Amino acid sequence: MKKIALSIFATLLFHASENATAQSVNWRSLKSDQPHIADLHVGLDNGFIAGIGYGHKLKIKQPALINAEFSIPFGKNLTDDFKAKLGGGAEVARIENVSFSVGVHGIFRRYQSELVRLAGFGSEFVAVAGYYRPKWYVAGEFGFDKAIITHIKNSPIMKEYYPGGQDGWYIPTGGNFFYGIKSGLSIKNCELYVKMGKTISEDLKTTATLPVYCQVGANVKFNL
Amino acid sequence: MKLKTSFKKIALMLIIAGITFTGCKKYELGAPGNLVPKTVMEDPSLPSILVNNTWLHAEAYGNPADPMVVVLHGGPGNDYRPMLNCKELALDGYYVVFYDQRGSGLSQRHSKDVYNMKIMFDDLSGVIKYYRKSPSQKVFFIGLSWGAMLATGYINANPGDIHGAIIAEPGGFTFDDVKGYVSRARKFKLFDEGLNDALYTDQIITGKQNEHEILDYKRALSSAYAFSAGNTEGYTGPVPFWRFGAIVNSSLLEIGRKEGFNWTTNLTQYKTKVLFLYSELSTAYGREYAQKISSAYPNVQLEQINGSGHDMFFFGWNNVHPLALNYLNSLK
Repeated sequence: MKKIALSIFATLLFHASENATAQSVNWRSLKSDQPHIADLHVGLDNGFIAGIGYGHKLKIKQPALINAEFSIPFGKNLTDDFKAKLGGGAEVARIENVSFSVGVHGIFRRYQSELVRLAGFGSEFVAVAGYYRPKWYVAGEFGFDKAIITHIKNSPIMKEYYPGGQDGWYIPTGGNFFYGIKSGLSIKNCELYVKMGKTISEDLKTTATLPVYCQVGANVKFNL
Repeated sequence: MKLKTSFKKIALMLIIAGITFTGCKKYELGAPGNLVPKTVMEDPSLPSILVNNTWLHAEAYGNPADPMVVVLHGGPGNDYRPMLNCKELALDGYYVVFYDQRGSGLSQRHSKDVYNMKIMFDDLSGVIKYYRKSPSQKVFFIGLSWGAMLATGYINANPGDIHGAIIAEPGGFTFDDVKGYVSRARKFKLFDEGLNDALYTDQIITGKQNEHEILDYKRALSSAYAFSAGNTEGYTGPVPFWRFGAIVNSSLLEIGRKEGFNWTTNLTQYKTKVLFLYSELSTAYGREYAQKISSAYPNVQLEQINGSGHDMFFFGWNNVHPLALNYLNSLK
């Protein structure tokens, strides 16, 4: 069963990287002569983070992007924790100014502290519905972020405290639903956006220590 | 194009399959013993006692006929491992009793609905009864942080039963005081590594309310913030532990938030001198707060433990020991 699930995931991920689109863009302001989109953002995402991203508008009929994102939380050690996402999304339906889109990303995450190093692969699925005009948009999003497989390496401190702890791959390790709103304002080839929402664990009962997310960012569309 | 597509699919599936189904051994997060030690329920070799319908990880040192010192660890949910230096009091003529409180450390886990403040006090009564050899045997408490709160709550309810107490940096004896202390002790700065240490795992590891091992492991990992650079409780390094009980911690905090408490209502009746300790390095506590909190007791010896932060029985034992011994001997 797990093999089948993983195969489905792999297939979805593959199609995502082929057909999908970055989520914090205004579908109505995308232009075919500016296929590149650079993104810079800061926000709260299980820590205070800063990130960059790159998206590429696909040359197909429907608005669609592939994109990659990389974010790190602030702190003394800037490289010990990070999240990298690869995937994209596409507008799947449009009724006048109301748009429906989906996105899928593969995720690689790393976390390190004095006690442990975690490194794992996951996936994120998101559905977005919103009202889009050429200069602005407002939308709601709902998604699921699954940590599928994680390598746990306990630090020497943890091994001293509990020598019986097992280092290795753990499957699965977690999942969180998220839901929120986002809005953006387009100014020439730039787009300022903000999004915020809440997260809840996959059991729909437990919550993270910081069960909210928030992101403020800017996209710049350009041609090379 | 189709060939390229198929190749991509196969490559990706092979990568995942390679990780998943080949030589790498895979573990379950929630399996007992994988990430957190087994409790007395899974490991019969651990010393344990049955008290108030729960199995507690417990042990005692010294002559059972000597005055008894019951050591109460912090948390809620931590364990007595960082307080094991108190064993030395057994050589000083005391019968030293350690136990991991209900749901904490290596003691039996329980579901969230089992916990309440009364049951924690009843467990303590049970532990005293279990180890006490005669009604004339004196009983002293040593409590750190939450353990000092538990000791005070017990004394407030039973002022005639306890012959002395060493109270070390209790968060407070009312929920409002605790709330204020916790906000100072967990004072995160947005750009600090400690914030990431505490929060970032939430996107990688999640557990349901009955997945105790996962939640306990997560709580252990998040404890890294406690000794991260710039921490306000004066930690200069990690403190040993067996297991952090996530459920008992969240449950008692939730009860405190909802119901509140005030464990000072009867303390004026407790005329015995109390040794109240605070640490030099904790900026979250400090002399001023120690004076405020300790003033609930009518008779207090207030002492600063130099060179240590909050976990003074681990980091500052050499300074705690002579004070504790003089105090206990004065009441022996």
